[in-house]
Amino acid sequence: MKRLKAMARAYREYWRINVLTTLEYRENFLMWFAFTIVYHGTALGALWVVLTAFPSMNGWTFRDMAFLYGLWMLAHAVNNTFFSEIGNIPDHVHEGEFDRLLVRPLDTLFQLIATPGQTFPDELILAVSYFAAATWYSGVHVGVLFLIFVPLIALGGALIDLGINLIVGTLAFWFVRVDALQWIVAQLEQEFTRYPVSIYSRSVRLLLTFAFPFAFMNYYPAAFFLNKPENALALPPAVGLLTPLIGLAFVSVAYAFWRFGLNRYQGVGH
Amino acid sequence: MSVVFSRPRFRLEPYVEFAKVAMAKEATYRFDVFTNIASVLVRVYILRTVWVALYAHNAAPSELPLHAVITYSTIAMLMSLVMDIDQTRILRDSLHDGSIVLDFTKPMRVPLYFIANGTGEVLFHAVLMIPALALALFFVHIDVPSFGTLAAFLVSFLLGYSVGFCINFILNCTAFWTLEITAVQFIVTWITDLVGGELVPLVLFPAALQNVLVVLPFAAMFSTPLLIYVGHIPPAQYAGALGLQAFWLIALGAVSVVMWRLGARRLVSQGG
Repeated sequence: MKRLKAMARAYREYWRINVLTTLEYRENFLMWFAFTIVYHGTALGALWVVLTAFPSMNGWTFRDMAFLYGLWMLAHAVNNTFFSEIGNIPDHVHEGEFDRLLVRPLDTLFQLIATPGQTFPDELILAVSYFAAATWYSGVHVGVLFLIFVPLIALGGALIDLGINLIVGTLAFWFVRVDALQWIVAQLEQEFTRYPVSIYSRSVRLLLTFAFPFAFMNYYPAAFFLNKPENALALPPAVGLLTPLIGLAFVSVAYAFWRFGLNRYQGVGH
Repeated sequence: MSVVFSRPRFRLEPYVEFAKVAMAKEATYRFDVFTNIASVLVRVYILRTVWVALYAHNAAPSELPLHAVITYSTIAMLMSLVMDIDQTRILRDSLHDGSIVLDFTKPMRVPLYFIANGTGEVLFHAVLMIPALALALFFVHIDVPSFGTLAAFLVSFLLGYSVGFCINFILNCTAFWTLEITAVQFIVTWITDLVGGELVPLVLFPAALQNVLVVLPFAAMFSTPLLIYVGHIPPAQYAGALGLQAFWLIALGAVSVVMWRLGARRLVSQGG
């Protein structure tokens, strides 16, 4: 209980420093926010161009794809807002700062997550606004089920995102430099969540469902809410609501791997 | 300029050495090299799947048949291996840590040093295109054009690369005035990928947009060489297409020179 209180206090402090830092470097913050808009804008722009030239992709129109993208954006933004520091594990290891976390009396992973930087919920605000617009645009019915499950799905999707980043970050205990791998995993996640998973071959669909469950970040939930008659593996449509559970399961596996790596971590010799 | 540089006889050898060192530096990150090639393969698989799915369910557009669009996207991805490099990053880095002052005291032409360094880096990645292409051929079939078309493509690619180089140099030059420009560079790269025709061929854009985008320098970087390769720009139009690229190269080259001069002068007037 005392420990939880200490964590809560540290976490509040973490957000206070984040906000103050952001206010201090305002121009920098605005430039990165502009990039966030451009990043999502160009992705949606490319989708729009393609689906203007070709009105349907395996039965999905631009309106459907806009919703598909919105679900991914929501989950991804939750991850970026709360767990972005996981991506810096390799840097911490590389610089030897990581060793400092090990001797402090709080959970190592918690300390990592609460390392202050310039995190600000700008992308999350953007994602929520976009998602609301995309939901309206795609004509998805907003009922009780939608309102209960969408936040849970965003959270579950964020856990999938966190899990994969944690696994790649843990690899830094052995390989130190994993920059390229991190970049590529991020890129593949982004590409594999952009289109309906049903376009891929069966083995890739199985991989995206059971091994790297990116399909649960947005494809299965979107297929459910859009009432798509088919989904990639002929599973019942309601699997789309399993995302929170899948996220928990996946992040547990990643956490186990993290513990395994942590027990074998020997430092880089600082 | 307020400082007179002594000009010894120009020798090319030191710059070749700079390029070699930069190349060797890139080659030390073997794990990165491996993951980079692996990622090209996965992305080639994705792009093929995406285009196949699109062509299977819709009437094919007359501009580009399926095999041409797959060839286009694969070549675009290989081109991006060298086009997306931040070639003159070393200029920004040496401005940040102040080492640019030392660079000026060395018996060399500083911009040429930056260019040599970037070229070495790029050449290393250009070599990587070969295994990436060879492996990509397991996933996709790529059209091979006639010798004349291939030659025109190579010229156009070189022009496009140079245009990209100037844009990169201009952006890094802004570090003379303002220090943090990474976000701006990202913005320019992402916009280039879309409006330059790397992600989606410009011929698939709505006509009104297309007419604007084809004359911009971003199209000179990606779209022009690629459309020459797939034969959408026929030999009769080569002169005009290459001419427009050359125009952008000259214009942006001039801006680069002006930016460099102004930046270097500012550095000197501030006392370094």
